[in-house]
Amino acid sequence: MANMTNLYDSSKCTACRACQVACKNWNQLPAVIEPFKGNYQTHESTNGNTYTIVKMTEHEDVLDGVQWKFAKIQCMHCLDPACMKVCPRGAYSKTETGATIHDPDKCIGCQYCTYACPFEIPKYNKRLDKVTKCTLCADRTAEGLQPACVTTCPVGALTYGNRHELLAQAEERVKFLRANGFPKATIYGRLELGGLNKLYILTDTPDKFGLPAHPQEYGSMNFWQNWVQPYFGWLIPLALAGSAVSFVTTRILANKEDGHGEGGHM
Amino acid sequence: MALIPEYRPDVPRVERFNWLARFSHWGHTVTFLVCLFTGLILFLDSVDWLAAIFGGYGGASLVHRVSAIGMTIVIIIGVLFGFKGIIAWVKDLLRFGKNDILFVMKFPLEFMGFKVKVDPQTRFNGGEKGNSIVTPTAVIFLVLSGYIMWFPAMFPAGLVRIAYPTHDICMILATFMVCMHGYLGSFHPGSGESFWGMWKGTVRADWAQHHHAIWYEENFGDKANNQAE
Repeated sequence: MANMTNLYDSSKCTACRACQVACKNWNQLPAVIEPFKGNYQTHESTNGNTYTIVKMTEHEDVLDGVQWKFAKIQCMHCLDPACMKVCPRGAYSKTETGATIHDPDKCIGCQYCTYACPFEIPKYNKRLDKVTKCTLCADRTAEGLQPACVTTCPVGALTYGNRHELLAQAEERVKFLRANGFPKATIYGRLELGGLNKLYILTDTPDKFGLPAHPQEYGSMNFWQNWVQPYFGWLIPLALAGSAVSFVTTRILANKEDGHGEGGHM
Repeated sequence: MALIPEYRPDVPRVERFNWLARFSHWGHTVTFLVCLFTGLILFLDSVDWLAAIFGGYGGASLVHRVSAIGMTIVIIIGVLFGFKGIIAWVKDLLRFGKNDILFVMKFPLEFMGFKVKVDPQTRFNGGEKGNSIVTPTAVIFLVLSGYIMWFPAMFPAGLVRIAYPTHDICMILATFMVCMHGYLGSFHPGSGESFWGMWKGTVRADWAQHHHAIWYEENFGDKANNQAE
């Protein structure tokens, strides 16, 4: 089945945060009140009870003056997700439509995924003692509905559909934006980390939206995943096997040669 | 052949490990093994039957942390009350010399049960010196990385990321050493009295003279007796 995804158009988003509320509503998540940090952004980042936030980034442009950029941040549902690779319990899986979902019954709350994720999206929920994150509303989409955030977006900044079709749509939109006052407009999520199952139309470069321009998986995690887990662990059965062999051979040789005497003398 | 040589209180014996060293050793043994079994549940994955022993993955995780605190307490007691002993231990490790290198080179033969002529050893032979360096180092890193993973919000994200592979590498190294050490300190015929040294605190004097000639001579031999007089 084709990858189904969300396309977020930053040029349309008004940062009303209805998506945040709809997400909380559908997933029955309690409110998380964070202290005022001097801007309108409700939360510093996603948290155990907040799967999506609208990030608000200010910067001063020499030509355009102060710019205020909005970006809806949630799980990017990477096509090759780092969280899925490192989870020691195999709690992550991919749905047929490309959503990265997390099984809370398997999760042990180790937070390995939180630190492996290049976007630091999965977050620990202390009440549940588990990690939580956006599911791309896999439960809704399986029943033919659209994700809660898409359904509620009042300005049409979010569209749900086939990834290929949305990419074509995004290209058209970026062309239009570039010709109409946003020369740096770009698509985010097409190639990053081998492709994200969340697509963004950005009116400027990704860093202006608080998104990593070149997201990368962490080297230490790759080392753990590719070397430590598959190979290093064999040292333990090797030690056990060596001891077992020695247990037998030492006794055979001792019987033959009357070797080790009382008190372990040789 | 008996699994472990008989404990003989009727023959001359010399003290090898005091009560604190033994408390520390067995304290680490118990807490390490509990941490290992509960930790392996997470490392190996799909060992639900093992998790069930601890009442599921949540229970295993709790037992793992409680045991880790126990291990930390054992370390703190060992360092506070046995600081002199640790210094003496480290000093002995620094005496790593030609005799130790030869011991390690000949060790595979000894391990399999062949007769080999071993050069005189200090309190800890070449292999024990290696174990004394690798295992405690791995345990220190296990404890540090464990607490970093337990309270990740208190540490920089980069450090937390390194803590995961560090914890696993150190677990594997320490478990490898513990497997070898457990066997060599008990059922390996050449080790003989070693087990009683750590269990009762004393070893047969003739065994000590044979296996740790330098240590025996310096502490209980003619040289030591002459100095005492």
